[in-house]
Amino acid sequence: MNKPVSRVCIVGGGSAGWLTAGLIAARHGPGLSVTLVESVQRGTIGVGEGTWPTMRNTLRKIGINETDFMRACNASFKQGAKFAGWRNGRADDFYYHPLVLPEGFPDLDLAPYWNEAAQASDQPSSFSDSVCFQQFLCENHMAPKLMTSPEYGGIANYAYHLDAVRLGEMLRDHCVNRLGVTHIDDEIITVEQTDNGDVRAVVGERHGEIEADLFVDCSGFASLLLGQTLGVPFIDCNDVLFIDRALAVQVPYEEEDSPIVSHTVSTAQKHGWIWDIGLTNRRGVGYVWSSAHAGADRIEEELAAYVGPAFSKLTPREITIRSGHRETFWKNNVVGVGLAAGFLEPLEASALVLVELSADYIASTMPATRHAMDIVARRFNTITRYRWDRIIEFLKLHYMLSERDDTAFWRDNRDPATIPQTLKDQLELWRDTPPGEHDFSSAHEMFPAASYQYVLYGMGFRTRPREGALAMAHKAADAFARNMQIKARLGATMPTNRALLTKLAQYRFQPV
Amino acid sequence: MTLVPLTRKDHAALRLNPARAAQAAASVHLVPLVRSEIRKITGQFPVFLAKDGETGEFYPAALMGLEPHENLFWAEDRLEASRVPLNLLRLPFFIGHDGAVMIDMASPAVDANGPVALLNADGSDSAWFTSVQAMLGELAGGQAPTRALVDTVLAHGLVQEVKLDLRFHNGTSAQLSGLYGLDEAALGRALPQIADIDTVMVLAAMVLSLDHVATLVKRKNARLAAMDQWLAPQV
Repeated sequence: MNKPVSRVCIVGGGSAGWLTAGLIAARHGPGLSVTLVESVQRGTIGVGEGTWPTMRNTLRKIGINETDFMRACNASFKQGAKFAGWRNGRADDFYYHPLVLPEGFPDLDLAPYWNEAAQASDQPSSFSDSVCFQQFLCENHMAPKLMTSPEYGGIANYAYHLDAVRLGEMLRDHCVNRLGVTHIDDEIITVEQTDNGDVRAVVGERHGEIEADLFVDCSGFASLLLGQTLGVPFIDCNDVLFIDRALAVQVPYEEEDSPIVSHTVSTAQKHGWIWDIGLTNRRGVGYVWSSAHAGADRIEEELAAYVGPAFSKLTPREITIRSGHRETFWKNNVVGVGLAAGFLEPLEASALVLVELSADYIASTMPATRHAMDIVARRFNTITRYRWDRIIEFLKLHYMLSERDDTAFWRDNRDPATIPQTLKDQLELWRDTPPGEHDFSSAHEMFPAASYQYVLYGMGFRTRPREGALAMAHKAADAFARNMQIKARLGATMPTNRALLTKLAQYRFQPV
Repeated sequence: MTLVPLTRKDHAALRLNPARAAQAAASVHLVPLVRSEIRKITGQFPVFLAKDGETGEFYPAALMGLEPHENLFWAEDRLEASRVPLNLLRLPFFIGHDGAVMIDMASPAVDANGPVALLNADGSDSAWFTSVQAMLGELAGGQAPTRALVDTVLAHGLVQEVKLDLRFHNGTSAQLSGLYGLDEAALGRALPQIADIDTVMVLAAMVLSLDHVATLVKRKNARLAAMDQWLAPQV
């Protein structure tokens, strides 16, 4: 049992496998042998995917520079998400979940002051626009940084839209050429276990046995080791989140200089919602829906209407989604990362960030011995389960607050039986006290309290302002005014997203 | 600025007053340098790296003011400096994209009664114009070595942002950002790889030149004091 852990084998490539390989190899160097086995499938094309701002630090840790990364992955800047039509579906119905915190947050909480003003008005101002300047940048297609900003640094917090397949390829080259990761292209035919259930080796068609002390299962939905070999059950969460299908297309830009939108646009539809992600070379658009509520033919009609005339020339691809996760994520000497651990609809771009967080945890707590591994595994399972539960609740929040009454999809989403109890409890408290750090006390939170504020007040939820929460009126007025000033200043200086990305094809961000 | 290509035909009779050419420097706080002049200029000015606003690329520059559009060495009609960067000395001449010499006809230095002529009576280049051409040549030829110097400091991770947080005698303060200096400790570690003594001396001179920021603060204090005196109520 006290065998040293000196060999890590990652089963499966893709962005999950290579991010994990990169984070582990960059942290441990040649002292730890890292091998990645995958059956290389060439010529696949990724759907556009959104990341979190965490990706900047992840790539920096792996040792990749931002300019090379962005060029290789057709990446563009993402400054959050715009939710259109989620509240009532009317033309002027939209709000933002930006990546910049409300002005002054968390020392100063503007939510009570905004709620007070909103309560007194027939046409309340937008919460996200009143407390944060980023919506202004997004609405004007402006970039979050300048050509003079250092790599991975910006004026406004930002993440990326990228081609996940290209990301995997770029990471593979870096891992193999720079970080000493061994790459084996092979089809795994069997898995060999020891008496205690540990995986001893995976057996490749051409390479035979590949032994390791720790296996990271990045085999995708197949969940080859965690699900199939070790039989860890899958926990469905379709009782809370109904989305189980996606219809995706790649849409070319109409003009060479069409704006590259610097946020993900999520537009509510009759039976789900449409994502719209702008890369440098094209848009990725897709309709995710609930097959229990609508058939694919009706979905294609709605998607065609969203995309416009260009749709007739495109080839939509249907994808089946199984919302949920494994009961545990690390069992014996196998830990699942990426789709092998689970998947949720892409509403808050949680897929890649969970890969990053999991891989980073594995890299930084890498057990030195097999004995220590069980302790690390227990902790990993607790933290990871906590993260999945918080994401599921946060996603549900977007649906359950909707006032839409046009289809059963939206009505069913409000059914109390489909809402997790912890979320119901939170909402009870938020009627009188805005979401704050007191609600989110774990060191492993996924979303800051501000994210809940953006969604709650964007969806029309109101917190009754209490007198005590309004004691810093002057400071609040200053903060609202400061937000206006920042908008005016940035409006005069920031380049458009497309202008900066065009420049980046020619020039580089400097390391400082 | 009115840039036109310089030709013998159009500008045969041109006369200039070089003393006025540096007028353009009155509202400049950073003057770009080429590698060959850095050691000389560091004797008088702090030499930083700054970023080109368009391309984000670093270039070495002499700091002459503590806020944009301020030149603390400009006094009424001249630059109070014994070591003047080529980019000021060569005014009002420029090098065009195709390498041709251009002149700014809107410069105050263009003066029919100026003390120097472009050409001698026999049509040959005047001694003054010959010296200007030499400067333009040094600037043009200096681009590649300057770029190489910047690449060297970046490759060795020597560049760090320097935030100047300054307080003046009259109680006011200023923060100047967008300046980058060299990390002395990192320079020490990179010494074996850099090896070339001339490069090392240029970089060391840049490190030491930051002491001249104190000179700029002194000049700023003097300016502020003069202004306060001027504004003070007369008894």
